[in-house]
Amino acid sequence: MLKDLFFRLRSVLRRGTVESEMEEELRFHSQRQLEKYLKAGMSGDEAQRQVRMDFGGLEQVKEECRDARGVSLLETLVQDLRYGWRTLLKSPGFAAAALFTLALGIGANTAIFSVVYGILLRPLPFWDASHLVLLNETTPRVGDVSVSYPNFQDWRSQSHSFAEMAAVNPVKFNMAGSNQPENIGGLAVSPNFLPMMGVRPVMGCGFTPDEEKAGAARVVLLSYALWQSRFGADPSAMGQTIRLDSQTVTIVGVLPQDFRWVEKCDVMEPMGVWATHNDSATNRGDRGDGLVVGRLAAGVRMEQARAEMETLAAGLARAYPEANDQFGVNLRPLREAFSGDVRPAMLVLLGAAIFVLLVACANVANLFLMRGAVRAKEMALRIAIGASRGRIIRQILTESFLVALLGGVAGVCLAIAGIPAIARLIPPDTLAGASVGMNGAVLLFSAALVVLSVLVFGLAPALHSARGNVHAELKEGGKTTSAGARNRLRGLLATSEVALALVLLVGAGLMMKSLYRLLAVDSGFRSEHVLKLEMDLRTAQYDKDPAVIAFWQQTLDRVRALPGVESAAVGTAIPLTDNHDRTDITVEGMPLPKPGSFPHPDIHIVSPDYEKTLEIRLLRGRGFTHADQENVPRVAMVNSTLAQRLFHGTDPIGKRFTFGNEPGRATWVTIVGVLADTKMYGLANPARLEVYVPFRQAASNGMVLLVKSSQEPTALVSAIRGIVASIDKEQPIFRIATMQEVVNASVSTRRITLILLGLFSALALVLAGIGIYGVISYSAAQRSREIGIRMALGAQRGDVMRLVLAQGGKISAAGIVIGSAASLGLTRLMAKLLYSVSVVDPATFAVVAFVLALIATVASYIPARRALQVDPLVALRNE
Amino acid sequence: MKERIELPQGTLDLLILRTLALEPQHGWGISERVQQMSSDVLQIQQGSLYPALHRLERRGWIKAHWGTSDNNRRAKYYELTKTGRLQLATERDSWQKLTAAVAQVLDPA
Repeated sequence: MLKDLFFRLRSVLRRGTVESEMEEELRFHSQRQLEKYLKAGMSGDEAQRQVRMDFGGLEQVKEECRDARGVSLLETLVQDLRYGWRTLLKSPGFAAAALFTLALGIGANTAIFSVVYGILLRPLPFWDASHLVLLNETTPRVGDVSVSYPNFQDWRSQSHSFAEMAAVNPVKFNMAGSNQPENIGGLAVSPNFLPMMGVRPVMGCGFTPDEEKAGAARVVLLSYALWQSRFGADPSAMGQTIRLDSQTVTIVGVLPQDFRWVEKCDVMEPMGVWATHNDSATNRGDRGDGLVVGRLAAGVRMEQARAEMETLAAGLARAYPEANDQFGVNLRPLREAFSGDVRPAMLVLLGAAIFVLLVACANVANLFLMRGAVRAKEMALRIAIGASRGRIIRQILTESFLVALLGGVAGVCLAIAGIPAIARLIPPDTLAGASVGMNGAVLLFSAALVVLSVLVFGLAPALHSARGNVHAELKEGGKTTSAGARNRLRGLLATSEVALALVLLVGAGLMMKSLYRLLAVDSGFRSEHVLKLEMDLRTAQYDKDPAVIAFWQQTLDRVRALPGVESAAVGTAIPLTDNHDRTDITVEGMPLPKPGSFPHPDIHIVSPDYEKTLEIRLLRGRGFTHADQENVPRVAMVNSTLAQRLFHGTDPIGKRFTFGNEPGRATWVTIVGVLADTKMYGLANPARLEVYVPFRQAASNGMVLLVKSSQEPTALVSAIRGIVASIDKEQPIFRIATMQEVVNASVSTRRITLILLGLFSALALVLAGIGIYGVISYSAAQRSREIGIRMALGAQRGDVMRLVLAQGGKISAAGIVIGSAASLGLTRLMAKLLYSVSVVDPATFAVVAFVLALIATVASYIPARRALQVDPLVALRNE
Repeated sequence: MKERIELPQGTLDLLILRTLALEPQHGWGISERVQQMSSDVLQIQQGSLYPALHRLERRGWIKAHWGTSDNNRRAKYYELTKTGRLQLATERDSWQKLTAAVAQVLDPA
């Protein structure tokens, strides 16, 4: 078989040699034969004649030899490709239109797929990642929450569904740098984490089981990136020390280059180091930031593991009601944690891109059909002189393939140019270390698209061309019989283009309305001219509260004195992020519920002017002042939701509550103000219970500095850096952004989706318009004789105009009806992306239908105008 | 001149293989040899000889090389391959069975 192919290939590829060899062989034969005849006594002429007669047709013999060598199949392909190439060159307008259309369709798909592949499909850099599960706790009051470390220890010892389990706690460090101090992120992990994940450090050998226990020596693994930037990839970094939070830490290894985690991971330390310095290692009720990763035991399905874990969690809730009442457990594939919440958006966009490709294919099919009409005679002639219909279909499919291939290549080039732009739109948090770009898998996808395109746009025209009635086509001046069927097919294609474009436009319309509604939501604060800068006081000098408070006070005093600063404040939390501390509270005099049902608000530690800087409305009472100090009775502000839920319309000012669920040991806190609700968890999410306490009464090392400026706020950054450096030159400032950027980032997924969906639907709209235009203008041209007669018989311009417009109207009306029906089903798939807009929003549907009808009318008006210019005499004489 | 008969379908390959079993030969040589061996009864049409040679070459039963003919000209020589030899044995076998059977039908004993 292989030999046979090789033989055929040689015959085709080395055609010149093979041909000349054949020539020589046959010549040798003729000469010998000639000599033989001469020897037998024939005259020269007679001998020559006899040789020729013996041979029959020389060319025919050669052709038969070629067939025998198996040249034909491959050679006809080469022939068809050449012929196709020539016909394309002969009609450059057609070729350019088809190529460009396909390039757009395939390019859009390739670009989107590269993102989908990078974020959703590319295998995670872990061994057998499909069996890795992320576990967190849940409570109905909040939703998903972190895992209490003692609970993790019980899960690990009691569960059977998992081969292994490891805790992963995000940690932060201040790293004194060579030039500017930095805040870096890391992970504290159970020592079995790396082996379980199948991750092998490129240097060193990970952690030992002993390093799980509190009291472990301070050691870290560096990320590959940090090893490069900090140590120039020097192997002697092993065993050296770095200063983290002014502690000396020994480097025991380097993580592999492809290691990535949901959060940025610059360093990794064993859990024992974390446990040494964290009360939550032993306090069951304290849920920090930790999550748990488990590897399912062989043969155990996710659902079985979930059932076991739920039973286990229920047991722990009974055993430790104080800490675990109402707490359950949630399991999901690790992959989901990495792809986050962008999955629905990605899939909707991929679907939309496929739709664009379908519209493009419909357009190209239309072009081929139009050309098929022109070439109908050529095809009929070829069939008449003996070409098989199969041969004709093969030839047209080869041409289609050529167009699709060239379109695909152009599309991939477009995608390569466009991918960086799309990748830039995606926030780094969403990427979670994933890289988006061109690679083998993406190219394979593009290749599949090329094949798909050929099937979609090439098959119908090819079958159609071979079906024509030879007799009728060849009749002199005869009306072609297949024209009717061809026109029906073209009308159908244009209709489907309108339908597809409508679905895309509806999708884009719904997204646009969602984003508009979302940005119009009252966020409860004003982002204009506000800058945010984060700081975390982690060095030993800030172990005591007074030092922390002094640092913040000093920073605030000096920042407020900067020219251009209208107000400044510090706070533990800013709106539109979803990382907030929470705790139970007990309102004075309320009936005590079960442990898991206490009010569980977010607790924000803020300085005076917090509400003023963010322009959060003070609904009642007062904001914090300088008088709310360490040694005076404790005060708090609450948000309006908390005031309503816990005080049911009575005035909460002056009411008292205490933190925790043991009012017996209470330090009462008096409510002095009520703030309007702010969107702490994103614009689309409802407000929760919020409590604000003054920063001098509850010192916090990690704070966000908020500065409202009368000018461009980023202009203040260097001045603020200067102030902080003069107070503590080793204190890093990080995540500097304007609040406007924070707002934008919170809707970034929706915004990207809208931009791309808008782009795709605009593309589809234009293509559909071109499609209708093509169909109408072609059929108007075909009907020019009919129009001529009508006008000769006295038809008015308006009548003719109506005639042509009606045809376009029929196409667009059918397309709009079919598209609307399809949209009703398909928009459901994007329900997760929408905000306060119904998937069947009538206004959107109406506007979109109107736009499409308008485009369709314009697209048929132009050919209609041209039809009116038909001179009846000319049209009739053409016959 | 003796009467010549048309070659039945499929016998051409057998004749070529048989001829090449004697020694490597070029196309003209093959047709001469067949004519000679059949006492001028069988004459191969050149028009079918060469396509047959190319077909057999593609099947791997014979292989070709360029050599020098007895009158010192470059000629394309064909020779039997190992599979060709096996093929010849099989075809000869079935040919003999066929002719014996046909003979039996024509002249029942």
